[in-house]
Amino acid sequence: MNPLRPDLTHWVGAANYARALGSLAFWRALRTTAIFVVGTLPLTLGLAYVVAALLSRVRRGETLFRAAIFFPATLSMVVISLVFKSLYAEEGLLNGWLAALGLSRVHWLQDPRLALASIMAMDVWASVGYYAILILAGRKTLPPEQLEAARLEGLSPLDVERRIVFPHVKPVILFVVLLNTIRSFQIFIEVFVLTRGGPLESTLTLVYHLYERAFYHFEMGYACAIAFLLLLFVGAILLLQRRLLSRAPSEASAS
Amino acid sequence: MNRAAWILTAFAALSLAPLLYMARVSLGAGGALPIAPQDWWAGGLTLDHYRALASGGPIGRFAVNSLLVTGIAVPLQILLSAAAGHSLARGRIAGRGVFLGLATAFLILPRQVTLVPLYLLFAKLGLLDTYAALILPHLADPFGVLFMAHYYETMSPELEEAARTDGWSPTAVFWKIVLPLSGPGLAVVGVNGFLTTWNAFLHPLVLTTSESMRTLPVGLALFAQSEHSVDWGALLAGSTVATLPVLIAFVLFQRQIVEGLLQGSGR
Repeated sequence: MNPLRPDLTHWVGAANYARALGSLAFWRALRTTAIFVVGTLPLTLGLAYVVAALLSRVRRGETLFRAAIFFPATLSMVVISLVFKSLYAEEGLLNGWLAALGLSRVHWLQDPRLALASIMAMDVWASVGYYAILILAGRKTLPPEQLEAARLEGLSPLDVERRIVFPHVKPVILFVVLLNTIRSFQIFIEVFVLTRGGPLESTLTLVYHLYERAFYHFEMGYACAIAFLLLLFVGAILLLQRRLLSRAPSEASAS
Repeated sequence: MNRAAWILTAFAALSLAPLLYMARVSLGAGGALPIAPQDWWAGGLTLDHYRALASGGPIGRFAVNSLLVTGIAVPLQILLSAAAGHSLARGRIAGRGVFLGLATAFLILPRQVTLVPLYLLFAKLGLLDTYAALILPHLADPFGVLFMAHYYETMSPELEEAARTDGWSPTAVFWKIVLPLSGPGLAVVGVNGFLTTWNAFLHPLVLTTSESMRTLPVGLALFAQSEHSVDWGALLAGSTVATLPVLIAFVLFQRQIVEGLLQGSGR
């Protein structure tokens, strides 16, 4: 299809959608997204929660620690990807360290079993600070009197965390889960810079697939079908979030 | 230091180490990476890569493009966000709810969805590979519009009404009363707009084709894609140049960046 030449464009009905849903690349991209969410979310969320908890506990230098940990979240994903590409390079720093320890080189980005995991590790590094700030802001809306009262009742720090702080920041955590999922559907730059979807399509994501189809093969109709499916997925996740969030308060009052 | 501070020190170090590595490679001689731990200190420091960048290399051109695009787009983006936000907050305009709904939708929904239509639009307009293609998509910023609409809703309209009863024109009211009172809100919109514009990747990638029109993120990413003989020194010098303005903005406006993030700027 050539959209700049309407005379050559014709109505194909749902053909582009049928093609997407029948193509291996599309399902592979969806699987990549699923692996990405399942693999990064627990780690990112766990680390972000710990960082937020520590930041709220530290007596001095909170501003400095917060700034250092949050700064990467403001950087261009291209810069982050370039730095990690240099770390993961065959002759890069990580392999240099492995060699210094007498170990053999690892093909971080060339091994189909490792490439996605390498990108996921980078993603965890890049997003912990962002989510930690969100969770920290959630913690700070907890009235200090409530914490003081719990402490006077003789609750241990761990109990305070489990019985008071965690339920309080639960909506924020739910928000982070959904944000992470939505962002995983949109991964592009990381793949563009580090692997171009390879090796063996092991890092192919939905948006990279869309980009490749549209701008290497000029299949604009097909690419738009993919874009629309992406929109549907993200829309469905947002609806799910609404359902879950509207249910949360009633749960709290019931318990 | 207590235990929390020690663990946080480790997190902070991990978070900054890759950036220090980037700066170290950019200050090294030649294009190779320091691979072994002992190489970290060997070889001395030099500004060679930055000199090459400043003396007319392609990466220097990317940096100039990025500065130009950001320098033009962000002030316009701020002004349009203030104007649109003010109209939405104060004006009794038809379809106000529709505009608010659209802005919210564009804030939440993935930008990638509009990539192909955006490309086709600019192709039809004959604007591919121009500065207009790099700048125009940034001007309408849904986060900025919504943030300013909310900002003006919480600001008392008394002064504006008084001026209007004194016979001031709406334009005069906007320039002389509304804008001077918008500083704190515009700082949030401005710094977040700066970050999105400076770091923008997808639309500058597809709307430009010639090397001389590439912005810093796009040009650097394309350089890194060439599999043979990547000049890491030059690339990471370019990355450092791409990082410095962000660092300055971060140091000066961290509070505003965090506020934008909490209000859901869609970065």
